[in-house]
Amino acid sequence: MSSALEISGVSKSFGDTKAVVQLDLNVPTGSLCGFLGPNGAGKSTAIRMLMSIIHADEGTVQVLGTSALKAKDRIGYLPEERGVYRKMKVGGFVGYIGRLKGVKGNVLRKRIDDWLERVELPGIRNRRCEELSKGMQQKVQFLAAIIHEPELIILDEPFSGLDPVNARVIGEIINELHQQGRTILFSTHVLPQAERICDRIVMIDQGRKVLDGTVASIQSQFDPRVIRIEPVDINCDLSAISGASLIPNSQSSEHLLMRLDDEIDATGVLAQIVQSTPVRGIEIVKPTLDEIFIEQVTRSRGREAAIQVRKEMSHV
Amino acid sequence: MTKAFLIGALVMPLLMMGLFIVVMPLMMEANTTPLTGTVAVIAADDVFLDLQDRLSSNENPNAELIETLPDIVKHDPLASAILRNGSINNTDIVLQKSLPNELETLKENVRDGALSALIVVPESLLRTTYQETNEHLVVLIPSSFSPNHTDLLSSAAARTVVDVRLRRLGHVPADMHAMVKRPRVNAKRLTHDGGEKEDNEAARRIIPMAFMLLLWIATFTSGNYLLTTTIEEKGNKVMEVLLSAVSPLQLLGGKILGQAGVSLIMLLMYGGAAIAGLITFALLDLIPISHLVYLTVYFTMAYFMIASIMAAVGSAVTELRDAQSLIGPIMIILIIPLALWPILSEHPNGLVATITSFTPPLIPFVMILRITASTETVALWQIVTSMVVGFGAVLGMVWACARIFRIGVLMQGKPPSFLQLLRWIKQG
Repeated sequence: MSSALEISGVSKSFGDTKAVVQLDLNVPTGSLCGFLGPNGAGKSTAIRMLMSIIHADEGTVQVLGTSALKAKDRIGYLPEERGVYRKMKVGGFVGYIGRLKGVKGNVLRKRIDDWLERVELPGIRNRRCEELSKGMQQKVQFLAAIIHEPELIILDEPFSGLDPVNARVIGEIINELHQQGRTILFSTHVLPQAERICDRIVMIDQGRKVLDGTVASIQSQFDPRVIRIEPVDINCDLSAISGASLIPNSQSSEHLLMRLDDEIDATGVLAQIVQSTPVRGIEIVKPTLDEIFIEQVTRSRGREAAIQVRKEMSHV
Repeated sequence: MTKAFLIGALVMPLLMMGLFIVVMPLMMEANTTPLTGTVAVIAADDVFLDLQDRLSSNENPNAELIETLPDIVKHDPLASAILRNGSINNTDIVLQKSLPNELETLKENVRDGALSALIVVPESLLRTTYQETNEHLVVLIPSSFSPNHTDLLSSAAARTVVDVRLRRLGHVPADMHAMVKRPRVNAKRLTHDGGEKEDNEAARRIIPMAFMLLLWIATFTSGNYLLTTTIEEKGNKVMEVLLSAVSPLQLLGGKILGQAGVSLIMLLMYGGAAIAGLITFALLDLIPISHLVYLTVYFTMAYFMIASIMAAVGSAVTELRDAQSLIGPIMIILIIPLALWPILSEHPNGLVATITSFTPPLIPFVMILRITASTETVALWQIVTSMVVGFGAVLGMVWACARIFRIGVLMQGKPPSFLQLLRWIKQG
């Protein structure tokens, strides 16, 4: 499969701060790739280098087989920092960006009307951008990024600041564009969201790539360490089980979770549980991206740093 | 082009011009309500008769003043309307000769409106030999009396006093006025090529300043617009969207070239209005075509210098107030030609003028002033050198500013210092 995005050995520093370090990335054409990492991981810097907005100190960047500068009309880009011309009318703003990207005339006008309808903003074409709510402005900017029907769409935190209803609308459009065969790269720090819609994940931390592959392949690389138990009696006593311990606050009315101790084989623990209490179901849970990420950060930076990163990501 | 620009740059000046050329003269004309009623006069018989003749003859009280004015003022619509304003139709006035002992009664009559005004001419003012006096010609009017009517009566009475003095000395006032009228001076410069050139002192001082100001207004208005729009695009975060469609250099180039068109429109508009004014007063020969060509050349030089500086500063800061600290020193340098205007226009080929006309970024402003102020043609080698140095400086400035712009547009937070800007130029 050909690559829509290909970067190799790319680094970028700002003064003494290394924003991106020796980053390699290959996004196949037609994939929906999540670009993940905590705030300050280097996602936006990497994306700006992809867009040729800033230049890498070293390494090569190829977008749609050429440089982003040459392929700009074939790329749709939603930057992390949202911005519109406040005094401009919505139709004027989207039309201006569309014209910059080479779409003109009646085609552009029709597309603007169709897309405004599609993102549930009908009738705002002649309203000034400053009259819109933040969420509405964000949807308008999303439209500006895709109005020229690009082959490659790069979205930097597209869901940040959106309420669940609007996030669902944008999520559906992203899926739709993906179904049409467009390549989509979107960055987010909300890992469960990426896990749900992406077919491919790239995860970076402190400017370095820590994970890269399909969601399934990444999950399969990690040893599952959590057992999900649905006991007949939810109040059963599992304290005698050796090699695993209950995960605090994980108990619901139907199930509870146990974490395997390090270097303990899951098979023996499963047998112990089944013998000690009748169960309706028991399974080894696949690790979530969240857990995988924490594990990666723990390996590279230690447990304390991982907890701190986890907190930051859940707060933002 | 935003509505604000259209209003500020096009509509407002047109409105102002319309106001001064059409509306105000019309208003002045409309404000010519005739003075009616009875005016009492306490004066000698000859004074009374002269005043009566004068007021019934519709004589313009500003006639003397008008005679002394240059043609350019006499033909100005607003000025002529103001001057004509004195010649109001006053035939409805009835003069009533009164006696000094009636003064208090007459004052009461003026107060209650029975009389339109009261004029008192003391005999001491009519002496035919010069003698210092503290006495005044008195014109008493009601509180709501029009200032124009006051001027009319005051001026007519004062002129009457002078004419009566002359008559009492046995002279004919009209002859005496003609005798004391100053002759017109026709100063001519003898040029080195053997010719003669009319020396229009006022034009020689005003036109160079007008040219320089025109350059200033056209370039700085546009430069300021570039500064604010760049800051706005950074502030509202739309910059990155633009940079996803064009490169920073394309963006800078587009902004500068686009604004150049706007600036040129302003130059043509203001310059065109000035030329139209000169054509109206048949003074177009004061501006040779070559000056307009030089104006275009030096405008191009000035615009690209100022525009690139403003765009670079706009890209480096996130708020307008941060821009002031960077723009301040540049403005101080660029204000030098304005501050030096008296010296430069007095000695357009002097040492100061010559040095500053080769010093970027002062070149375009100083050179246009020199070329238009100089009675002798500025040496061709100086003009050519100024263009070479000036356009060389433009290239250098655009290059440096482009490097600042490239880094600055994506920078947020604290504004950079001059040293940092220099580093950006090096890095960019």
